[in-house]
Formats: sequence, C-alpha cells, structure tokens
Amino acid sequence: MEVRFGGAAALTGIDLTVAAGERVAVIGPSGAGKSTLLALANGSVAPTAGTVQVLGAVPAALRGRALRQLRSRVGTVHQHLELVGQLRVVHNVNAGRLSSWSAGRAAWSLLRPQGVPEVLDALGAVGLADRVFERTDRLSGGQRQRVAVARLLVQRPELVLADEPASALDPVLTDRVLELLAGLVTEGGGGMVASLHDPALALRHCTRVVGLVAGRVVLDAPASALTLADLAGVYGARR
Amino acid sequence: MTTVLPAPVAVPALQRVRARWAWGLGAVAVLAWSLVGAKLLSGNVVNPAGSAQFGRFASAALSPALDRPFLGVLASSVLITVAYAALGAALAVALGALGAVAVARTTWGRRRLGWALSRGVLAVPRGLHEAVWGLLLVNLLGLDPWVGVLAIGIPYGAVTAKVFADLVDEVPRGGQEALLATGVGRLPAALYGLLPPASGGLLAYSFYRLECAIRSAVVLGLIGAGGLGYQLSLSFSALRWDEVWSAVYALSALCVLAVVAGRAVRRRLAAPRSSADRLRRDPALTAAVLVTLAGVAWSWWYLAVSPATLVSDRTGQQLAYVLRAAWPPDTDGPFLREVGTAAVDTVQMSVIAIALATVGAVLLAGVAASPAGRVSLPRRLAGIAVRLALLVLRAVPPPVWALVLLFVLLPGVLPGALALGVYTLGVLGRLAAEATEELDPRPRDALAALGARPVAGWLYGVLPAATGPVLAFALYRWEVAIRDTVLVGLLGAGGLGALLASRLARFDWGAVTTVLVALVLLTVAVDLVSARARAALR
Amino acid sequence: MSRRRAVRSGGPLELPSTTRRGFLGGGAAVLAAALAACGRTSPVSSSVSSSGGTASSPGARGSLSIGAIPDQDPQVLQRLYGTVADSMSTALDLDVAYQPVTDYGAAVSLFRTGDLDLVWFGGLTGVQARLQTPGAEPIAQRDIDADFHSVFVVNTATGLAPSDDLTPLAPLRFSYGSETSTSGRLMPAWFLQQQGVDPQGFPGGPGFSGSHDATLALVAAGTYQAGVLNEQVWTSRAADGSVDPAVVRYARTPGYHDYHWLLGPGATDRLGEDLGDRLTGYFTGLPAGNDVLELFGAASFVATEAGNYDQIEEIGRQLGLVS
Repeated sequence: MEVRFGGAAALTGIDLTVAAGERVAVIGPSGAGKSTLLALANGSVAPTAGTVQVLGAVPAALRGRALRQLRSRVGTVHQHLELVGQLRVVHNVNAGRLSSWSAGRAAWSLLRPQGVPEVLDALGAVGLADRVFERTDRLSGGQRQRVAVARLLVQRPELVLADEPASALDPVLTDRVLELLAGLVTEGGGGMVASLHDPALALRHCTRVVGLVAGRVVLDAPASALTLADLAGVYGARR
Repeated sequence: MTTVLPAPVAVPALQRVRARWAWGLGAVAVLAWSLVGAKLLSGNVVNPAGSAQFGRFASAALSPALDRPFLGVLASSVLITVAYAALGAALAVALGALGAVAVARTTWGRRRLGWALSRGVLAVPRGLHEAVWGLLLVNLLGLDPWVGVLAIGIPYGAVTAKVFADLVDEVPRGGQEALLATGVGRLPAALYGLLPPASGGLLAYSFYRLECAIRSAVVLGLIGAGGLGYQLSLSFSALRWDEVWSAVYALSALCVLAVVAGRAVRRRLAAPRSSADRLRRDPALTAAVLVTLAGVAWSWWYLAVSPATLVSDRTGQQLAYVLRAAWPPDTDGPFLREVGTAAVDTVQMSVIAIALATVGAVLLAGVAASPAGRVSLPRRLAGIAVRLALLVLRAVPPPVWALVLLFVLLPGVLPGALALGVYTLGVLGRLAAEATEELDPRPRDALAALGARPVAGWLYGVLPAATGPVLAFALYRWEVAIRDTVLVGLLGAGGLGALLASRLARFDWGAVTTVLVALVLLTVAVDLVSARARAALR
Repeated sequence: MSRRRAVRSGGPLELPSTTRRGFLGGGAAVLAAALAACGRTSPVSSSVSSSGGTASSPGARGSLSIGAIPDQDPQVLQRLYGTVADSMSTALDLDVAYQPVTDYGAAVSLFRTGDLDLVWFGGLTGVQARLQTPGAEPIAQRDIDADFHSVFVVNTATGLAPSDDLTPLAPLRFSYGSETSTSGRLMPAWFLQQQGVDPQGFPGGPGFSGSHDATLALVAAGTYQAGVLNEQVWTSRAADGSVDPAVVRYARTPGYHDYHWLLGPGATDRLGEDLGDRLTGYFTGLPAGNDVLELFGAASFVATEAGNYDQIEEIGRQLGLVS
C-alpha cells in the first residue's frame, strides 16, 4: 500500500492488520507518516496504490449513506483537534452523534442543546463538566483536547483513531484519557490505533507497537516483548 | 492506579449572551418596522400586470445586441471604464494608505479623542455616493477626466483608509510589541511586525476595491462621465434592453477579470512559491505588480489627465460659485420636516435591502464558494451558475433594477428597497462565498469523517464560523446601502435620493447642502450602530 | 551553502536585479505617461471632432464644443454625433467637438462653466441655463418646437375614454418623465394645475420615470395608471407599432415652445459677435431631408428668441423649478 502527496511518498510498502481488541501505538519521528496512516484508516485519505479495509469494508468503494454509516463507527481524535471554536463545548461534543441525528434535530440542538446528560457524563469523565456551555475557543489547548476525547465518548465508535490524543495534558490526565479510549475499545469490541510521542505511554497503554520511519514500517511487535531501549532505536534510526 | 480528578462541580446553566440577543431582537424589530413602512404588511404591493414588461427585460438577457457597430461602441467604452476604474482605484488605495496611518488606533494609541475626531473627518467623503461626488465635481471641473477619477478616488479613499486602519488594528500585537521591546523604532517595528501579517488582507481589499471601482465607473457613466455606463444609460433611457444587456455583460466580463486576478494574487500570497534556500520573488506576483503599474500609467495617458486642471483659476472660480450658492443650507421648517421623512424612508429602504441581501447571501454562500479538493461535476456547475448569477445581480446598475422591479411592484419604498437588495445580494453573496472559502475546512472534514450528513456538517462545521464574518460584511454593506439609496430614490421610491434629485433639478444649492448633510449624518449614525453591533458579535 | 548562511545571518542581501529593474521601469512608465498626457486629448472630455482637432489646439480655425440630449432615441444621435459635428464643421469652418452628456443638470452646469458652447436644451433646461449664464442666447429651434404638445396616456384598465378633462386623472397613480423635462413634466403639470388638479397631489406622490419610453412602459405595466409624455415620441412609437395595446392616449395639451439651441457667451467672445447669426443661418439653411434634420426628427430649423420662453420661465417659477 502506498500514499503519495504530490511527488513525495508519505507512506510506502505498508501492510498492517489490526485485530479486534488490539491497541496499537504508532511511534516514530516527526514527519514519519503517522498522521497519514490514521487518515488512511478513517477514509479521509485514499491510497494511491493498494487498498484499505476498515471494519470489513473498503471506504474508497463506498458513497453516501453507506460511507456515512461506516464512518460513524470510526472515531478520530485529530492532532489539531478540528473543533469549531465558535460553538459552545456542548455542541462540539454532540457533534460526535451527528451521524445518528436527523438534520432537523441537529439544527434544533444548536438553539436548545439536546442530550445534555450524556454530554455531561462524557465531559465529567475528562473533568470538564463545569465548562459545558463555555465557548470552545475560550478553552486552553489541554481542555480542548479533552473536549475532543469527550466527543469520542459520545460517539461510541468501534474503531478508535487517536493522533497525539494527550500531547497537551499533564501525566495524570494523559493516563486517564488513554484509559478512557481503551475502555471504548473494550466496550465497542473494535481496536485502537494511536500515534504517540512518548514511548513509555506506548508500552503502558497499548498491546502492540508499530514504528514508522520515513513512511516505512521499521518495527512491529507486541508491547510486552519490547523495552524502552527498543523504541528509542526507532527515533535513532534516521537516514 | 487511581486517578485524581477535580471534585464533581455544579453544572452551570446555559446562559445566552444578553448583548447578542438584544441586538438580534433589535434587528428583527427594525426590520419589521421597515416592512410596515414599505406597506408590505398592509395592502397590495404586487402588480402582476407588469410581468410582460419585466419579461421583455428578462428575455433580452438571452438575446443581447451583438451588431458590429454597437459592439465597436462598447469596445471603446470599455477602455474608458477600465481607465477610470484603474486610476480611481489607484488613487483610492494611495489615499487609503495615507489615511489609514491617520486614523489607525495604532497611531493614536490611548489618545481616543484624536482618534475619534480623525474618524469623524473621514465620514464626510465616505457619506456621499460616487454619483453625488460626480455631480458636485462636474460643477467645479466641468468636462474633465478628473471628475470621474476623483469621484471614485475620494469616497473610496476614505472607505479604504478606514478598512486599512481596521485591518492593521486587528493584527495581533505580539510581533510588533516584541520588536518595540527590543528598542526598535516605531516605523521599522510596524514594517516588520504589523505589515506582514496584514498584507494579505490589504491586498485582497485593494483588488476588491478595483472591482467596485469598475462598477462605480459605470454608475458615473450614468451621469455623463463616458464609458460603458454612458452607453448603458443611453440604451436604458430608450429601454433598448438588448443593448442594456450587452453593456451589462461587458461589465460582468470586466468584473470577472478583476475578481479572478484578485483571487490569483491572493492565493499566491497565501501560499507563495518560494524556494527556501534562495531569495527569489514570485514571478507571478512581480508580474501582477508590473501590470498594475503599467495599467495605471496607461489609464493616465489614455484619459489625458492633467494635474494642472486641479489648480487652475477656473476651478477656483467655480468652487467659489458653488460655495456661494450652497451656503447657507436651507433650514426652514417644512423643508427640514421633508428631509426627516425622507431620511426615515431611506433607513427603511436600506434595512429591507440589507436583510434581503443577508438572507440570500447566507443561503447561497455555501453553493457559491468554490470547494477545495475534488467535487462532483453537478456541484461544480451549480457553484459556477450561482457565482455568475451573483455577478449579473451586481453588474446590472441599481437604477435599472429599480425600473424593472417597478414593472411588477406598485410604487413606494419597496421597489427601491428590493432593487438595492438584489444588487447588494450580488456583492454580499460574493463576499460571503469568499469568507466561507477562507474558513478552516478541517472541522467540517472531521465531522464528515465521523459520518455526519452534509447538512449537519454545514450546521456544525461551517455556519458557526461563517456567521461572524458574514454578519460583519452585512453590517458594513448596510452603511453602503444607505448611500446607494441615492441611486434608486427616483421613480417614486422616495427617500433622500428623490429629494436630492428634485433639488438638483432646481439648482437649489442651499437645499442640496441640507440633504447632503443629512446623508452624511445618517451614514455616521449607521456606522456607529453597525460598529457596536459588530463588537457584540465578536 | 556559504552564501545561504550569509543571507540567514543577516549578511549582504542580494536583491534580484529583475525586480529592481521592474520597479524602475514601472516608475519610468508612469512618468512617461504623465508627460505624454500633456499632448493628448482625453477621450471623455473632448470627443473626436470632424477634423481631428481639439478644443484647445491653437489651430488656425476656431473651435466649438456642442452637446445635445435629445428626448427621443438619444442613443441614435449620441452614437452618430459625427454627422452633426461634420456638417457644422464644414459649413462654419470651425473645429466642432461633440461632447457626450446624458444628464440635463450636468449639461446646464457645463454650459455655465463654458465647457459646452452650444447645447440642444429643452424649454425648461434652456431657461435654467440662460439664467445661470448671462449673455447666452437661443439661436434656433425645430419647426415643431414652436407648437409642441404633450399627450396624457392612461392604462386601458382605468376604463377612461379620451377627453380634454384632466380631473379624472387626479385619483390615479401618475408618472411624469424626467424631473426637468418640459414636455414630460413642466407643461403637463401646469395644464393639470389649470384644471384644478394638484400636480404633486397624485396618490403616493407622482413618479418620475426618467424618460418618455420608461413612462410608456410603466403605464403599460399598470404600475402607474396614467402618465404624460412628449407627443413626438408618442407619435413615433405609435407609428412603428411598439406601443403596448394596454396604453391609450387620453388627452393632448395645448401648444408651447420647447427645444432650442442655446449659444453661450464664451463662444461669441472667442469667435466673433456674428457667431450667433452664422449658426442661425446654418441651422435654418439646412436643406430638407438633410441627415442632421433626420437625426433631430425635424423637417426644418427656424429662428427663435428668448421671449419665446418667457411663459416657461414663469411657469417654472410658479412650480418652484426655476429660482
């Protein structure tokens, strides 16, 4: 499988399968292709060569309702969070269930927020219940990261994709967020792919570690078989 | 492992932002008042019998005049219009750049009084429509190309100064302050810390002004300054719709050129093709600068503009004549009451116009914005169709809209308001589409990635972010609409425009002064209200 | 590599020469244009005259700038102005420059400022121009202008039958033509007033359509139930069958003086006291069927004098259009 942007290959020769219940950490230096790998998995980037199968379907072959249904089963925490700053927190969290809401309900909710109890539960889990009606652009970077996670908790996806989901959080909250995501995987019966900068986190929260360097897989092993030194090698393996 | 989370807190109640709700309710109330004033809610306003006349206008759109002699006339007229627009816009940008320094908060710092006074001075040139400037300047300069150039340059210069100042003022202060803190002088600090972040906006606005200048050059042609507008006005007065449409299409083509050039330069500036290791200018941007300079030089030569006219004895004499005739303003009671009534009509007309334009722009912006990335063919065609329709809406001058809408509506405030509304929709729709294009596409993509349907994606990903800029544009255009009512005031639509025309027809300069003062005051008032409303929106 | 580092560390920075040359070139072009402009005639302030000369060129022949805003088919005359300029130029041995003007108010002002020497004015605008320009004299009018008429038209839906009684028009939505038009506004308003109808008192106030053709179209549409226009335009539109059947003639006004050529004092000062007589001679001497007569819709031009417009001036004062 291969992905090219313009002339440059972002990923080449990738062949990965994530089994149900697996929690895969993707590690590697900046620019290695981690975000691209996650974008492939949620269907927002199509491979130039090869195929991507997600939850038993090929996103590139789907259109309209079928594609939306598949996508509603995949939850993503984006690296840049992709929240709408002008909306209140409650709406950004509710955005996680837009796939199951009618257009009318979605519109009405902007005027009179719908399903506030579930939103409060999700926000409570990340410690943000008191900011539910705050405008999102008034929050700090770490708080917004937790809103993005709360969106996922409301969405209840089967496959969890997380791009640096805890980069702006303190150690306690980082562990908490990764536990929540792991809980989603257990509950949904799918898997998780998370790109992580911190090798220690990868070993602590994931079952398998994939190392990417310059668009190629250089490491793929169960977390239990790896040490911090093994992972440090991925960062050292520059060309 | 135990997680320590903050103790459960009381969930806050959903609180509406009071100021915004107050402004929203106020806007609805003013709109309702305007609609009542336009008799929309009381009695019949439609005249279905006139649909045949309207149909003649509309169907001529498909069969514009294409005979050779007329096309020849149009071709030479296009050159004049282009020359006026280029010189007028160049003058406006030059005046605007100088004026911006004089009215920017950055310049005045904490001296609020000085800042407020300098803004107040700008209101006079800004409050009068280009056509009004044209009529006044004809009296000073006679048949001189300066009339057209100054009639565009003066009011546009004032508007540009205000917008440039706002753009510079809104740039985040960090970079400049960091430089000042290291002891860099004020000017270099502005050059390095303020101008680079503001330059994209400044350039985009300059090109927008160029497109506006083309349309204004046509409006000036209506009062005799030559060019496309002059041909359009001749054909219009004889209701030769086929020729009117040819002129409108020629004007549309010019506007398309201005828009496309502006967009290309803007995109290039946003994503410059520079090589990191060598200092090299982007050839496309260099070419744009050179073409602009050459265009201005050609316009100067083509119109044979001579600075000597401005300082000639004759100009001084005519200025004295007009000032003597215009002072003192007419202040007798019945006339002032007439001005008051007309001012109310003008406000109502502008409110209906801007409401129509805003609703239309919000609905069309999504389709009109050219989407990034791959899109289906029907979607692409729909986008092009809407953009062209918006272009034609603003290429047909408001007086023409006023007459053809009067065919199907009964006389009153409404035809004028709607004429202004569809014209403003043409302008606002384009601005809204551009604002939509410039939004960060990622939130919407993220919603699509989690399976939200397109309508929901638009509601949650685009609407919240686009509302602010689009309403800000609408409030800004409201002030412009007040001035534009001058163009549609005749034909029984009333307002200050009709009053102005009737006093000009009598050469009653004292009364003309009063009406102009009223117009300026109204513009200032609307500017203040819209500035406060915009502040509440932020 | 070393050069790169020099730039990054703030070393001497090489500006690409093309850019510098470009800006210099641009500047030079502006300057050159400014100089060139001095010897050029603006396409807007002085239209091509018959001989290619200009109003300001110090040629052997004198020059005259003329303007006209005809009521009927203005686009035809304005686009064929060469015919008029050529004819006058040949007959009078003058450089004649035709100035495009569409607005009566602007024409009056331009006549006052001396930008226009000879203008084809309507009755009312001629009076306004003469009052603002001491020394101006009317020199010729068309045969039809000595006994000009307006016609009131009504939409057939009103059910009104042609009559000389104007009072049934009072309760109708009514449109004049242009605000300063003699035949489309001033005289009809006066005749209405004569019959006891308030010329400003129509329901919702009278409209000002802006042109005779627009009046016809608006009455045809029924937006206005009645209107008034120049008889010449009505006759010509009726003859070529372009009048909508929904519009019928209701009444014809008595005769009055209308359009005329008005000569400004500046031209007389420049070109001799006899200029007025020469122009009158030129206009009245045009042979039947001449192109110029055709353009102005006349069989011939005849001499006229200021006294012919006293009635218009008086009515203008009464209606507040002349001050």
